[in-house]
Amino acid sequence: MRGVSRRTFLAALAAAVPTASFVRRAHAAAVDDLVGRPETLRALGEAVLPSELGRARITANVDGFQRWIAGYREGAELVHGYGTSKLTWAGPTPATRWSTQLDELERAAQRAHARPFAALSIAQRQELVRLALVDFKEERMPPVGRSPHVALALLAHFFSSDAANDLCYEAQILRENCRPLAMSSRKPLPLAATRRS
Amino acid sequence: MISFTKRRVVESDVCIIGSGISAAMVAQKLARTTKGKIVVVEAGDEAPALAKRYALRERFKSYGESPWPDDHLDGYEIDGPLQSRSMQVGGLAMHWGGVTPRWSPEDFRSRSLFGVGTDWPISYDDLDPYYQEAEEIIGVAGEQGPSSIDPRSKPFPMPAIPLTYNLGLLKEWTTQAGITMWSQPAAKNSRPYDGRNECCRNDTCSPICPIGAKYSPDLTWDRLRKANRITLYPRTMVRRLVLDERSSRIVSAEAMQRGAGSGAGTPVEFRAKQFVIAAGYAWSAHLLLLSRSSRAPNGLANQSGTVGKYLAGHRSQQAYLALPMRLYPGMSAHHSLLSKQFMRAPSGDKYLRHDLRVWESSVGREPRLRDDAGTPLLGDAIMKDWRERTKTGVARVRAYYDVIPDRSSELTLDATRRNAWGDPLPKLAFRDAPESAALRGYSNETLRALFAKMARAGGGTVLSGASGEGSGWQDHPAGGCRMGTDPATSVVDAWGRTHDHENLFVVGAPTCVSASCANATLTFCALALRSAEELAR
Repeated sequence: MRGVSRRTFLAALAAAVPTASFVRRAHAAAVDDLVGRPETLRALGEAVLPSELGRARITANVDGFQRWIAGYREGAELVHGYGTSKLTWAGPTPATRWSTQLDELERAAQRAHARPFAALSIAQRQELVRLALVDFKEERMPPVGRSPHVALALLAHFFSSDAANDLCYEAQILRENCRPLAMSSRKPLPLAATRRS
Repeated sequence: MISFTKRRVVESDVCIIGSGISAAMVAQKLARTTKGKIVVVEAGDEAPALAKRYALRERFKSYGESPWPDDHLDGYEIDGPLQSRSMQVGGLAMHWGGVTPRWSPEDFRSRSLFGVGTDWPISYDDLDPYYQEAEEIIGVAGEQGPSSIDPRSKPFPMPAIPLTYNLGLLKEWTTQAGITMWSQPAAKNSRPYDGRNECCRNDTCSPICPIGAKYSPDLTWDRLRKANRITLYPRTMVRRLVLDERSSRIVSAEAMQRGAGSGAGTPVEFRAKQFVIAAGYAWSAHLLLLSRSSRAPNGLANQSGTVGKYLAGHRSQQAYLALPMRLYPGMSAHHSLLSKQFMRAPSGDKYLRHDLRVWESSVGREPRLRDDAGTPLLGDAIMKDWRERTKTGVARVRAYYDVIPDRSSELTLDATRRNAWGDPLPKLAFRDAPESAALRGYSNETLRALFAKMARAGGGTVLSGASGEGSGWQDHPAGGCRMGTDPATSVVDAWGRTHDHENLFVVGAPTCVSASCANATLTFCALALRSAEELAR
């Protein structure tokens, strides 16, 4: 019988007894796990992110997603709404859930193809991802932190970026980047070849 | 063992309660025109320094975190639509959008001109020099609209923020639709101004400008403190003002030092020759109501019974229009076109005045996870679908329309909710005057028809629309201590001096008689500067 990992144990403990200490340790364990075995997440990135990014930029995006996860702060005060005195705070860390979902993708790969997820073809990986997402009915990109599945989170993380916006419009819009006022009256320049591939 | 908490006494010539943008205007003008000792009392904490704002902005962008952490007081969840929970040095203008239109001359004379609402005791012409002064202090970049609908006596201190490529195209379209639009004035530097940076379209103006190109009151406080012209007391909650036993003058403000550090819980008594309440539409009236005593059982400055009454604001209609033009959303979501041509006389036989603004938008053009048939999409398919849908553009259009405030539109003390010191919290309810309530359907229908007409003029369609009526909220709230010439029906005179207490002023938002149909902060600043002139006399 397979033993329960420290990460799984801490995740279960944090869910059962959600004290700050357990939650922090479960988050840290999940982040360690994602950083310690990046193959599955990178393989997932290759399956769900646009192929025109190329391998290097997909890897860079997955690394950026890992940094995002590592930087998540449960209970952080969120930006205030207008017209209300209610405050909101960041919810439980999604890292533990996403880490478990990566395990499930690995198990599905072994069941279906008797090989690790990263060793499958892109089409095989996409098929497993589609199966994993069958129960999720999202039509819009969810906010990254509220993505119910790690594949959707990876998509949301990329597609909400200024780089994705530029890629879609094939232009250097550079949303929310510091840009000289004088250049904004002109039509955005086309994407440089290096940025597109 | 019994412990005694020592009372601290602070004396000054002028004591300003609140540190938002109206307070900053008053303090800056008094510092320049008088030699008196000025103290500023703020319940909230210090705002993070400018140097920290890029990092805070990154957290906001990546995680939706508040870039102004801990800018609120615990235990202040109130009944009714509060504009914002934010309370810190600099006030709400730490996270404002920096949008600074002037109001229209008609806003001040709606009873005389149209038979609705209440005339202000001052005219647009009276306010014009103070508008100019405010624009120069905070640094407004603007484009003069047609003088017949956008009167001003002097040029803007800075040229307008240039229209983006997107707004240039949208302006051509609105011209086709018969609407004259121009660049929305903004308190953002179109060139280096007053020691601050030029705007570089970081485009997170609200909630945070990371480079200080947008005016925020902390910039004024930093400067005044460095020059030793004011003393600012953060984390200090004024709980009540105290009336002199033998006259109608205010003698002190009783406060409590907040927080967990040294001095926390220490009572502080601010004594001053003049007191200025600059705490916004909610907390100004709240403080006056809390300051009740045997001689003022309904609170201070309230012989008229109108403290907390006539809360004002405006409603809105908004729509997203699909247009057959290639736009590039992300160039600047905050900058807009503005028209005031509907702010003058009502165009129909019923009373409806409104502004009109147009922005670039990505609504309806975002990447999505399923196509129209509901088929799930992954990377390449998402990008292909996204590109296909972004061949044409979307404009966001919105109109604020004038709402006549009712006496029952009010802030009262809530006996069921109290803060940590046992003081009742405010309770807010916005209500339209009957003439506005009767016109709401007509107003919304007329604006929806205007948006549809605009869409048709560009060969487009209305994608979606919404009204801003949700929770009883009215935007850019004001009032609660309205100005007037008659002490029986108003709280302050035309200068912001309370009718009942010669050394007590209320400034900015609370003094408004009505709230026009456009963003209000510049008007609050102009009114505050006008009050400062009287204070200095």
